[in-house]
Amino acid sequence: MIADLTPTLTRFEHAVAEIDVTSALAVVDEALASGADPIALLTEVIGAAQRAVGDRWQRGEWSVAEEHAATAVATAATETITREVRRGPVTRGRVVVACAEREWHALPAMIIDCALRSDGWDTTLLGASTPALRLNQYLQDLGPDALAVSCSMLGSIPTARRFVEASTAAGIPILVGGPAFGSDDLRARTLGATGWAADATGAITAMRELPAVVQPAQPLADGPVEEQAALELNHGELVATLTSRWPRPDRAGSPELDPALAKDAVELILHALWAALLTADPRAITETAWWIRALLEHRDAPVALVATLHQEVAGAIRDYPLAATLLDDSWPSAERL
Amino acid sequence: MTGLEPAELGAYAVDEAGRIDDRPGLHEEIGLAMAGSLNVRRSVLQLLDRLCPEFADWAVVALTNPRTGGVQLYGGVDVTSVVKVSRRALAGQALERVLATGRSELLHVSSDDLGDGLTGLIPHQALRDQAAALRPADVLGTGLTARGTVVGALITVRGQGRGFGAADTELAEQIAARASLALDSARLYEQRSQIANALQNSLLPPELPTVPGLDLGARYRPALEQLDIGGDFYDLFQRDGEWLVALGDVAGKGVEAAVLTGRARQSLRTAAHFVTDPGALLAALNAVFTDDISHRFVTMICLRVRPQPDGGLLVDVAVAGHAPPLVARAGGDVEEVACDGAVLGVVPVAEYPVTTVRLAPGDQIVLFTDGIEEARGESGFYGQERLLELLGRYAGAGADVTCAAIEQDVLEHLDGRAHDDIAVLALGCTG
Ligand code: B12
Repeated sequence: MIADLTPTLTRFEHAVAEIDVTSALAVVDEALASGADPIALLTEVIGAAQRAVGDRWQRGEWSVAEEHAATAVATAATETITREVRRGPVTRGRVVVACAEREWHALPAMIIDCALRSDGWDTTLLGASTPALRLNQYLQDLGPDALAVSCSMLGSIPTARRFVEASTAAGIPILVGGPAFGSDDLRARTLGATGWAADATGAITAMRELPAVVQPAQPLADGPVEEQAALELNHGELVATLTSRWPRPDRAGSPELDPALAKDAVELILHALWAALLTADPRAITETAWWIRALLEHRDAPVALVATLHQEVAGAIRDYPLAATLLDDSWPSAERL
Repeated sequence: MTGLEPAELGAYAVDEAGRIDDRPGLHEEIGLAMAGSLNVRRSVLQLLDRLCPEFADWAVVALTNPRTGGVQLYGGVDVTSVVKVSRRALAGQALERVLATGRSELLHVSSDDLGDGLTGLIPHQALRDQAAALRPADVLGTGLTARGTVVGALITVRGQGRGFGAADTELAEQIAARASLALDSARLYEQRSQIANALQNSLLPPELPTVPGLDLGARYRPALEQLDIGGDFYDLFQRDGEWLVALGDVAGKGVEAAVLTGRARQSLRTAAHFVTDPGALLAALNAVFTDDISHRFVTMICLRVRPQPDGGLLVDVAVAGHAPPLVARAGGDVEEVACDGAVLGVVPVAEYPVTTVRLAPGDQIVLFTDGIEEARGESGFYGQERLLELLGRYAGAGADVTCAAIEQDVLEHLDGRAHDDIAVLALGCTG
């Protein structure tokens, strides 16, 4: 059955905008009752509505608290679908689903958990920012057939690598996904993950194709690993330096960008350097530059700040030659910005 | 036979007949791989994965069940398969001898009595069929002996033209020596972890119920990150149409403290059969803990929630040596509930005054343990200021979201540093 979910999405988005859990659940219940495919609901309704939530935050229409509250609506809807899906039988092995440490976007992992359960896997969801020690405990206690890890933020790429090591050391294959991994499998492969997929449907296919046993992940190249570790160690200091210099107050002395946002942007670009070092994928930096540009534009801040940020970061990381080269090679040129 | 050119063979030794010999160091590699797992099933998978085709064309690991005397057979064509075989099925067979003595047995299979040759070491029809399909030459059963006990056997099969020689049997025994230790350790770990998990499950924070008119949320992060329990606790339950909510902290961390949280929760639930006034409840618990031989101090907040006809909630609050709860109003004002009382278990008789607050729709009351305020980051303690400011920003966002935001903010403040147990519970009024 191919149902058009557009009307469902419209009603659901409205409920999310009003932060009205009751109506949102009614929309989902109704769709499920009329036989809508749970996976389609997850990706085409809940996932799509969440992107609109992100856009609202980026445009400054919503505070983080509002973004968070709206996500609670989507979370409740996902829980309803998961409850429905859990009525089906378990027909495959066991999978542990987790967010890397420092990853607070819990909903994507929840959606993947639901999708895999609907395909018959016996899933255990560990939730937001899972400490590596806790993950290991679950891997040893449950002895799962696979681990699925979700990363939305580039800052959680280093802990995702730790998860790769923990999982593969025990022979357990690891499937990764989420916006931090980008739009193809390059980052996942370099990190040593067994599989990558772009979305919930892809997660189902990829999970079925994972081998039963994998070899321990190969060590990453020493140079980039050492630089990333040094950048992480000095992160607090780098953020403090950069936020004191960027953006400079305008002529009237008022900040050109909300300081909390400036800090988000600075953190993100440093995290992009971590990710680019570990995954050998400089696109992480380019994408972040464009994201910062969009943020500035949406918040009516001068777009020229993207170029000044580049200069400030380049100055601050002069002692990290690999990162400095990556930054210069992948920052979009002034003309393109 | 394998299609590999000699140049590609690398570390493999090739004997005079041109056959690939066993890879040197395979037993070491298997030992290392198996050390990476403490889970029996995953350890078996590590072993099976490296045995074929390196050492054999087909392999099964048999592990005995000390309780029933039967065996579980792991692997075969599908390495993930597991089948059970009863003790009776082994009677009089070669496998029974291997499991009893730990000594290897090598059976040659002749092409005319395929089935019979395999029966001795492969006590399962479907698995025998798989092995038979390989046109096997030899079946080798190697005992898995660890710490003085035979825990199982390794059953390997090779096809025509590459039967097991003396060196192969020796290598199988070297592999078995490493594998059996790893498997036995995994088995010991698994038994322990089953006990630990059963006990842990009885001490987990309760799942939050869905209650009309109430909006509930909670988060729990134990100091020992590998555990799901610690010295903080919360509980909530219904008595006569009212809800009793408690959140507290037993001095200390880890398992010992967690055991006491179970007693604290149980005492509270028992006492609540007789009184439901939070002050009286804490006074009763104080008497219980002063008598208690464990001599641990317990701090606690106790709430009684009384739904009102107008949709509001009256919340009676009593506090024993704990940071008082905060009330976050729908409009963004945040205030501390004025309430105080002695830590439980110190003075034999103590009184706990009750303060009543009113929650209107959109308001919430937030209970938390000192792991939050005392979370130490680069810039010092997290402190109450940050918490008050966050609650103001999250006014009206809902109980679960508020708790999630506090958890994230505190953990980001910690930035990976060690912390005490952290528990937070929010109760909102939905009207
Ligand atoms: C909700 C939300 C939050 C909530 C999360 C609450 C929760 N319980 O999940 C909160 C408020 C905590 C939050 C915090 C932050 N957020 Co936020 N957030 C979002 C938002 C709006 C939605 C995320 C979501 O649920 N998406 C829906 C899911 C279904 O989509 P998805 O993630 O793409 O997942 C699909 C695939 O990627 C894939 N997939 C995902 N995981 C996996 C795993 C496997 C194994 C596989 C195979 C596949 C797979 O399948 C999924 C389904 O098809 C996004 C906007 C957006 N466009 O996504 C921003 C967004 C991700 N956040 C952003 C930012 C900047 C932040 C903050 C830094 C600041 C802020 N806004 O508060 C912090 C950082 C926190 C941290 N360190 O983790 C930016 C990230 C920008 C960037 N370049 O990285 C975004 C894109 C917003 C924006 N438009 O700018 N956020």
